[in-house]
Amino acid sequence: MTSIVQALLAVSLVLLPVSIYGDTCLAPQVKSQSYSTPEAIVSFDTVLIVEFSLTCKNNLKNVNLYADVAGRTIPATRIGEPNKYQISITDEPKKLPSGAYEIRFFDEEGFALLRKAQRSGESTSSLKPLFTITLNHPGIWSGPLIQSEFVAAMTAIIVWWMAYTQRGKLLA
Amino acid sequence: MAGGKQNKLSREEELLLQDFSRNVSTKSSALFYGNAFIVSAIPMWLFWRIHQMDLYQSAVFFVIGTIISTYLVAFAYKNVKFILKHKIALKREDAVAREMMKKLADDKRMTKKEKDERVLWKKNEVADYEATTFSIFYNNALYLVLLIVASFFILKNFNPVFNYSLSVGSAAGLLALFSTSSKA
Repeated sequence: MTSIVQALLAVSLVLLPVSIYGDTCLAPQVKSQSYSTPEAIVSFDTVLIVEFSLTCKNNLKNVNLYADVAGRTIPATRIGEPNKYQISITDEPKKLPSGAYEIRFFDEEGFALLRKAQRSGESTSSLKPLFTITLNHPGIWSGPLIQSEFVAAMTAIIVWWMAYTQRGKLLA
Repeated sequence: MAGGKQNKLSREEELLLQDFSRNVSTKSSALFYGNAFIVSAIPMWLFWRIHQMDLYQSAVFFVIGTIISTYLVAFAYKNVKFILKHKIALKREDAVAREMMKKLADDKRMTKKEKDERVLWKKNEVADYEATTFSIFYNNALYLVLLIVASFFILKNFNPVFNYSLSVGSAAGLLALFSTSSKA
């Protein structure tokens, strides 16, 4: 009984690299859509969302993907239809300034290499991602420079001031 | 003859009384209350559209607030008008007298007394009109300043019902209070 288990284990160990190798997406084609918070009047945090669908030449479905963006590593969530993914990043507006964000995607194998590089403190920029998506965040609008109530208050005060000086003249 | 003289005297007295009394005529009272109502109803719009209060749910607050505010604002109009009227009468006295005399100069039949009476009457009318309109303008301006500052800055973090009651109440109350001061 034990020998059978051992034998199976040995076989699976031999086959494991092959099966992993077979999981690599060849010539990935990506169609993406992205969203970034446009204003900070009604929202406290900035959120960046990228939704994309992946098509592999070798018809691979539901690969586990990981994104590396601005020093963070996050898993891509599969949504709805097969091969449709989404990633989202949320942080304070200051920590997510405007600009182009290059999001690098890795599969399991690439992710393992990325983790290894991160652990040993090496640069991860030399690693070749499966594909990249560029998200353009135009920056957030934090409302008009002068609040409308301030304008209303100032107008009212100016009108009142005129009335007050006029009253002073009449009463003088 | 004696009756006519009596009438004339009483009329003069009446004018003098009118000049010095706090009472206002029905016409200017209607003007005051109408204006006070309009200016008191403005906050309703502000709190309905800007502070997102429901018009029907808060109808009770709006109606009570508007009634109280109308009364206080009209009270302020009256007080300010009373203070202003004398000052304006003094300021416009010469000009009115000159104009009236010029107008009545050709009228030889009119006695000096009658002319003086006309001048007094005209003076009263001019001062009354100017004081009424200026009082409305001045108080409206002050009311809106107090209301905007209270509702947008001082009470902005309170819930709208509280904000409405307090800002309308304090704006109208302060307006009435300021109007009682006799200084400039």
